[in-house]
Amino acid sequence: MKKSSIILIAIIAVAIAMILVIYTDSSTYSTFSEAKEKKTELYVVGQLNKDKALHYDPKTDANKFSFFMRDNDGTECEVIFRGAKPQDIERSEQIVLTGKMDGNVFRASKILMKCPSKYNDKSVVTEINATAFNN
Amino acid sequence: MDVNYVGEHLLPGQIGQFFIVLSFGAALLSFISYFFATKYPEENSWKKIARIAFWTNAVSVVAIGATLFYIIYNHLFEYNYAWAHSSKTLPTYYIISSFWEGQEGSFWLWMFWQTVLGSVLLFKAKSWESSVMTFVMLCQAFLASMIIGVEIFGLRIGSSPFILLREAMDIPIFREANYLSLITDGNGLNPLLQNYWMVIHPPTLFLGFASMIVPFAYATGALWTKRYKEWINAALPWALFAVMILGAGIIMGSFWAYEALNFGGFWAWDPVENASIIPWFTLIAAVHVMIAYKNSGHSYFTATFLAMISFVLVIYASYLTRSGVLGETSVHSFTDLGMSGQLILFNVVFLVIMVVFLTVKKKEMPITEKDEDIYSREFWMFIGALVLTVACAQIIASTSIPVFNKIFGTKVAPPLDPIQHYNKWQSGFAVIVMILTGFTQFLKYKRTDSRKFLASTVASLVVSLILTAAVVYFTKTYTNLIYILITFASIFCILANIRVLGDAVKGKWKLAGSSVAHIGFGLLLIGAMVAAATNEVISVNNTGYIAVSGFDKVEKPGDNLFLTEGEPVQMGEYKITYIGDSIVAPNTFYKIKYERIDEETGKVKEHFVLQPFAQNNAKMGGLIGTPATKHYVTHDVYTLITAAAAESQATHAKVPAEDKTGFEDYEEPATYQVNIGDTLRYRNGYYVIEGLNKEAHLEKIPKGPSDVMVGLKIKVFSADNKQYEVQPIYLIKDGGVYDFNKDVNEQGLKFRFTGIKPDKDKLEIMVYQKPLPEKKWVVFKAIKFPYINFFWCGTIVMTIGFIMSIVRRNKEEKRKALK
Repeated sequence: MKKSSIILIAIIAVAIAMILVIYTDSSTYSTFSEAKEKKTELYVVGQLNKDKALHYDPKTDANKFSFFMRDNDGTECEVIFRGAKPQDIERSEQIVLTGKMDGNVFRASKILMKCPSKYNDKSVVTEINATAFNN
Repeated sequence: MDVNYVGEHLLPGQIGQFFIVLSFGAALLSFISYFFATKYPEENSWKKIARIAFWTNAVSVVAIGATLFYIIYNHLFEYNYAWAHSSKTLPTYYIISSFWEGQEGSFWLWMFWQTVLGSVLLFKAKSWESSVMTFVMLCQAFLASMIIGVEIFGLRIGSSPFILLREAMDIPIFREANYLSLITDGNGLNPLLQNYWMVIHPPTLFLGFASMIVPFAYATGALWTKRYKEWINAALPWALFAVMILGAGIIMGSFWAYEALNFGGFWAWDPVENASIIPWFTLIAAVHVMIAYKNSGHSYFTATFLAMISFVLVIYASYLTRSGVLGETSVHSFTDLGMSGQLILFNVVFLVIMVVFLTVKKKEMPITEKDEDIYSREFWMFIGALVLTVACAQIIASTSIPVFNKIFGTKVAPPLDPIQHYNKWQSGFAVIVMILTGFTQFLKYKRTDSRKFLASTVASLVVSLILTAAVVYFTKTYTNLIYILITFASIFCILANIRVLGDAVKGKWKLAGSSVAHIGFGLLLIGAMVAAATNEVISVNNTGYIAVSGFDKVEKPGDNLFLTEGEPVQMGEYKITYIGDSIVAPNTFYKIKYERIDEETGKVKEHFVLQPFAQNNAKMGGLIGTPATKHYVTHDVYTLITAAAAESQATHAKVPAEDKTGFEDYEEPATYQVNIGDTLRYRNGYYVIEGLNKEAHLEKIPKGPSDVMVGLKIKVFSADNKQYEVQPIYLIKDGGVYDFNKDVNEQGLKFRFTGIKPDKDKLEIMVYQKPLPEKKWVVFKAIKFPYINFFWCGTIVMTIGFIMSIVRRNKEEKRKALK
C-alpha cells in the first residue's frame, strides 16, 4: 500500500471522528423549564410577550434590557439581556435566545430575532450579542 | 374585471422578460450544441450553432441587466424589484448595490460574469472549447431558470426581477386604476448595505464563484474526451484566478463587516461567510494538488476530485444562502423565494456529473504505481491539501446542521458560541497547514537530500521561535497556547517563503509568485489571530458605578457606555465627549471627541473626532448604527452607536412654522403683580422691572386718541452675565384690551404685560419659560483592534502573489502550446 493511501485513510478516520465530536458541541433548542433544571447555557425559542412592558433605560443603565418571553410550551419568563435594546424587537415574531437561567430570570447572552418586513411576508433575521458574556 | 392602470411603464418589463426567456433558451441550445460538438468533433455545424447560441445568450444577459438598471434608475416603482430594493433618495452608486440586494439581481450578476468568462474561453480555449463550454452553458441555463419566473403545469419556476408590484402583492390599493400615484417611494436599500464595499464586494465575490466553473469544466471535459493529462496545465491559471478573486471577495466582505456591520469584527463564522470560504478552501487544495501532479505525476484523482467538488460546493453554498434553510442561524442569508427545489436540482445535477465521471473513468485515470518519497514536495503538498479538505469538512458539517435538521427532521441546534467552536477546530488545522507550507519550501519535487532539508528546516525553526517570542511579548498573547502556536507556524511559513523569495531575486523568478502568496497568507493569519486574541471592548464604564444592584454582582459592567452631550467621560486612556451631531439625511452623524491627556502635565497629547452614524429607518427596524474607526499603524479604535436620544433623531420632522402658536414650546406661565424696580428670578438668572414707556408704539397699529399703549421696560440678567432688554406692550384700543408679548430667545423667556391695576398700584406680568432642553445622549460601544493592519496587509500581499503565479502559469501554458 502506498504511503499516501495510508495517510488518506488515517485522515478520513480523523475527519469522521471530528464530525462526531462536532455534534457534542451542538445543543438542542429547549424551553425555560428545561433551562431551570439544567442551569447550563442553552437556546430557548419563543415569542415576545407584547402585552408586558419592555424595559430599557440607558440613562440608568445602558447595558440592561429586560422583557418577557413565552417559550414554545407557553411558559413565560423574564429575560434580562446585558446590552442595548435590539431595535426591532417589538416587531419580532420569533426570538431565539442564548443564555442560562438565574433564579427566576433568564439571562440572555445573545438574541436572534426574526421580524416580518413591514410590506411583505419576508422575514429578516437579526442577531445581537451581549459581549459581556464573551469576555 | 380588468382595471386600466394609469401611468405604468410596462414596456421595459416586457423587454426584460423577453430577454430572460431568450437567454434561457439560448443557453440551453448552446449547451446541447456544445454537447454534440464534443461528441462529434468532425461535424463543424454543431459548434457553429453553439457559438451563435452563446452570443445570443450573452446579448440577452446584457440586455436583462440594462433593462433592470433602467427600471431601478428611473424609479419605476410599478416593478416589485425597484420598489423593494431602491428608493428615490439613493445616490447612483448605491442604486448599483441595490441592483444585487435581491436574489434575482445576484443571479444575474453570476450569469453576467459567466458570460464574460465564456467569451474569454471562446477565444482562448482552442481545442478545449466544446467540452469546457458544454458545462459552462449547462450552468448558464440553470442560472437563467432561476430568474425566469414562469409557471409550467402550475409549478412556478424561478423568480423574475420584472414582475410588477401589483402581481407580487395582493392588497386593495391595486384595485385602483391610479394606484401608482399612491406609491411615492420605494422601500429603500438596507442601511447596512449602503456602504462602498457593497458596491464592489458582491461583484468580486460572484466573479470568484462564477470562475470556479472553469476548472470544473476542464476537469470534467478531460475525463469525457479522455485528454486526461492535458487539462491541468490549461486549467491552472483559471484555478489560480478563481482562488485569487474569491479570496479578495471574501476579504472585501470582511472589510465591509468590519466597517459597516455592527457585529464588532471582521469574521464571525456566520453561515454565509462559511458558505463562501468552503469552496475557497477546496480550490486552494485543488491548486496545490494540481501543481504536485504537474511536477510528479502523482495524485491525479485527488486533483480532479478537488477541482470538481469545489464547484459543486459553490452551488451548495448558494443553496445554503438562498433557500432560507439558514433562517434560524444566520443574520444575513436571503429568504426563500420558493426556489429551493430548483437549487437542489441544480446541485444534484452537478454532483451526479461529478460522481459519474469520477467512477466511470476511475480505471482509465493516469495513476503512478510508484510510491511517493517522504522527502518529496508533492507528498507533503498532497498531505496539506488533505488537511485543508478536512478543515473544510468541519466547516461544512457545522454549518449544515440546519440542513440535516431539515432532511432528518431532527432539532439539533448549532453550537452556542459559533466563533469559539470554529476557532477551536480551524486554529488547529491552521497550525498544521502553515507548518506544512513552511517546510515544504525546503523540499524538491521527487527527491530531496534529507540532510540539507533538515539543516535548513531546523535553522528556520530556531529563528521562528525567537521571532514568535518577540511577537507574543509585544502583542501580549502569552496566555493563549493556540494563538502562540499559530503565530509560530505563520512566522515559520513566512520565513521559509522569504528564503525562496531570496532565491528568486538570484534569478529563480519562477517560484516568486507562490512564495509571495504564502507570505501574504501568513501575515493575514497573524493579523487575524492577534486582532481576535487581543481585541478588547474599551467602552467600559471606569467609574465602577453599576446602576442596578444585585443583578450585577456576578457581572461586569456592560460594554455600552452612556454619554450625555458635552459631558466628558474617562474611558481607559481616553477622555471622550459627545460634542453634538449633524444630520445628513437619512443619517445622523454623532460627533464623539477622543482626547488623550498626559496625566502629569494635563496637556492633551492627542485628540480626534469620530463620527459614527446611524440611520433611523422605520422600515428596516429602527436605529441602525454604522461604526466609525480611527486607524493607527498598530491598532484601530472602533466606535458604534447602539442607542440615541429619540429627540436628536426626531429633528428630521419639524413642525411647519405656520402651525405654531408660539406658546407650545413653553412651560405653564407664572403671573406676577409687580412694581417698578422689582427684581424677580428665573431659572437662569434674574430680571428687573425698569419702568414704563408711555411713548411705546407698534408698527402697523396706529395709536388712536383714546387708546392707551404702554410698554414695560424689563432688563434680563442671565447667569453668564449677559443682559437683554425687552419691552412687552399693553394696549387698550377701542374699548378692547390687548397685549403684545416679547421674547428673549437666548434665555428661553417670553414676557406678557397683561394688566395695569391702578387700585392696587400694581402691574401684572406673565412670564413663560422654556423647559430646560433635555440633554442629548448616546449609548455607544468602542472596541480596540490591535495589529489589524497585518490582516489587510497580508491580503494585499497574497493577492499580488496570486497575480504573479497566474502570469507564470499562463506563460508556461503558452510555451507548451507553442511546442
